[in-house]
Amino acid sequence: GVCPVVYMQGSTRRVGIMTDIHRRFLQLLMTHGVLEEWEVQRLQNHCFKVHDRNAAVEKLEDFINNINSILESLYIEIKKGITEDDGRPIYALVNLATTSVSKMATDFAENELDLFRKALELIIDSETGFASSTNILNLVDQLKGKKMRKKEAEHVLQKFVQSKWLIEKEGEFTLHGRAILEMEQFIRETYPDAVKMCNICHSLLIRGQSCETCGIRMHLPCVAKYFQSNSEPRCPHCNDYWPHEIPEVFDPEKEREAGVSKSTRKSLRSRQH
Amino acid sequence: MLSKPRGRGRPSPHTDRDRGGGGDARTPRGGRGDETPSTSRGPGSAQETPGSSWSLSASAPAPGARTQKQLELKVAELVQFLLIKDQKKIPIKRTDILKHVIGDYRDIYPNLLKLAAERLQYVFGYELVELEPKSNSYILVNTLEPMEDDAEVRGDQGTPTTGLLMIVLGLIFMKGNTITETEVWDFLRRLGVYPTKKHLVFGDPKKLITEDFVRQRYLEYRRIPHTDPVDYELQWGPRTNLETSKMKVLKFVAKIHKQDPKDWPAQYCEALADEEKRARPAINAPASLLNSEMGSEGLGQGSGTQRHRAKE
Repeated sequence: GVCPVVYMQGSTRRVGIMTDIHRRFLQLLMTHGVLEEWEVQRLQNHCFKVHDRNAAVEKLEDFINNINSILESLYIEIKKGITEDDGRPIYALVNLATTSVSKMATDFAENELDLFRKALELIIDSETGFASSTNILNLVDQLKGKKMRKKEAEHVLQKFVQSKWLIEKEGEFTLHGRAILEMEQFIRETYPDAVKMCNICHSLLIRGQSCETCGIRMHLPCVAKYFQSNSEPRCPHCNDYWPHEIPEVFDPEKEREAGVSKSTRKSLRSRQH
Repeated sequence: MLSKPRGRGRPSPHTDRDRGGGGDARTPRGGRGDETPSTSRGPGSAQETPGSSWSLSASAPAPGARTQKQLELKVAELVQFLLIKDQKKIPIKRTDILKHVIGDYRDIYPNLLKLAAERLQYVFGYELVELEPKSNSYILVNTLEPMEDDAEVRGDQGTPTTGLLMIVLGLIFMKGNTITETEVWDFLRRLGVYPTKKHLVFGDPKKLITEDFVRQRYLEYRRIPHTDPVDYELQWGPRTNLETSKMKVLKFVAKIHKQDPKDWPAQYCEALADEEKRARPAINAPASLLNSEMGSEGLGQGSGTQRHRAKE
């Protein structure tokens, strides 16, 4: 088809070209809420195989940048982030222009969305980045829309976990990397006083470590990178001794070895449908 | 107006640092000029309920005073709306489009729809097609051929109910394009699928066949008058003809029986004739979109035939 280049007035960015490889990639990408980097790579390989077996698979970063240059005029992008727990790279297709939870809005009812908002607020206000199931469920009476019982709310929270908006750990809930990727801008604009920021990457921080002296915070993967092979970790702000355990930097190679058996298992599962 | 393009590879630094009380008091949405998108349905309209919040652009000015950027945003909203709505496989009604997305931009609705259709085709490979002439409801038809291996890399595992749908479509075609509901259950019973019993994969087969597939316009379900007990007839719906073909369904049936499509000569002839009809040069869907939305203006190709389906 013809590319309506007339759109790109005012944009200095060079716009790439869409082919069926890119279209299939986008179509299949949209069936996921969020993907890990190995899944995105596998998706790209698949699309090349379908449409142009002989072509060398383009470097993933360039491939995605090319697509994003075209998605720009639609105010969406394939955004890359890292998970707050172990720093693994994740990707999601996000809205650039919206500040409301509109993508969730089609999948959930009004009272379910309000439950999410309540959980979100508890998570942001908490010290640890976690909100307990009890505290969330106690707010069930305040929800907009149809009345929801606690039992139903428990079920809805599990729906959020299954669709990767929340993560659950021992009865407590925090935001999934997907939610942070999608809603960071919205969260920062809506709760500017309550949000915490990472001292290293200057992005939204839900979970992390904090300095006990001066209070600055860092994401776990940011801590890992900043203090890598540093035997005497010190706070970058006040220079006091950093009191927490330093996590490992995410290593995709180690993941790949474990991941080979994981991807085989995954494809076997999907064949059974 | 919008947030700056993010840096690649990691969350990019934001200009405002929120530490040390740099942030404002909680600002109401819709009041921050360029930065905050508010409802695009005109000044003064309150934030909608979540189900209808397609707010991407700033308040709509008077017609004629819209910037290129606002138009771009409006088309972007429309594209997203159509993509998300189509995911549910329910035809998208024009009234919904006007209500939830177009709003004050009603005067240029046909242009916006045309631009959105172009973007959907160029960027995603989806063709925006009117379900039936003058129905004012639309679906997206995939112009890329689905591959078997797609299933391995999908995030939603496809739809397990597609299998049941294909069986019913096959049944209808092989029986001469119409079948009674009684006949359907007589057949499905042999496969362990019952109208009254919950199925492990399909859930509620009766609801699927007589309600869901009908709502999604894959099937037509009509009461046969003067039948006692009441019986219904099932036929292919308009979406089926757009998304698949008699030949494809015949091939599917043949595959199940491990035979050749030609082993059913009557159906094979019918499928061939259908293929020929589809192959005849015709106006593309966007043109027929224009025919219905903009009166008699087409792409000037002169053919009078209204074709509302995409190429195979």
